[in-house]
Amino acid sequence: MFFRAEGEVDQWCTTHGRKRGAILTLAHVWELAKLWYSDRMSPDFRGRTPESVRDIFNKLQLTDSFWEF
Amino acid sequence: MTQTHLTQTDWNIRLYLYEMLVNTGSAPSHDAIAKKFDIPIGEAKQALHRLNDAHLIFLRPDTDDLMMAFPLSAVKTDYQVRLNGVDIYANCAWDSLGIPAMVKQDAQITISHPTTREAINYAVVDGTLQGEGFVHIAKPFAEWYDDLIDT
Repeated sequence: MFFRAEGEVDQWCTTHGRKRGAILTLAHVWELAKLWYSDRMSPDFRGRTPESVRDIFNKLQLTDSFWEF
Repeated sequence: MTQTHLTQTDWNIRLYLYEMLVNTGSAPSHDAIAKKFDIPIGEAKQALHRLNDAHLIFLRPDTDDLMMAFPLSAVKTDYQVRLNGVDIYANCAWDSLGIPAMVKQDAQITISHPTTREAINYAVVDGTLQGEGFVHIAKPFAEWYDDLIDT
């Protein structure tokens, strides 16, 4: 879900009774999108392995418990 | 990340879904899939369910109808991506950027602010993001496939 400012996230979570999740800048999400989706329309794409997921998260320093599986 | 056995035709159908969504903004009908791959409609539907079970697409619950082929949405959402003059829908803010990342093309993105509903625009031009903001990802990665709609 997109917000213009971090404070808007907290407001939204309070209003909707939701726990705050992870907040990334749009620029960070663009880097994540490139790593996550760049091969998705390749005829050779065969899904993502746990190792490849971990590799992507590590490259973007997404290493806290939120990103564990 | 899947244990479901998929045939080469299943994989080809998956790619066909993506190509149709990117090029037309709409998912092909079951009949169109069956004709394209010269298979019965029932087999086309079974292929969609195998792809769903493998988490490669997401069907609308209790139907044979495509809902998501990540990052693409087969239904209208608050995340509209204009690509080559075609309006396509993404599943979330992350996926709105996933579409230009996937097709490696410029895209103009218009979303609705979750609180005010005002239109917010950002874009990818020549591989560069134009726009600023923050994205809230509500659920931890381990829970994503428990509830894809609310992730």
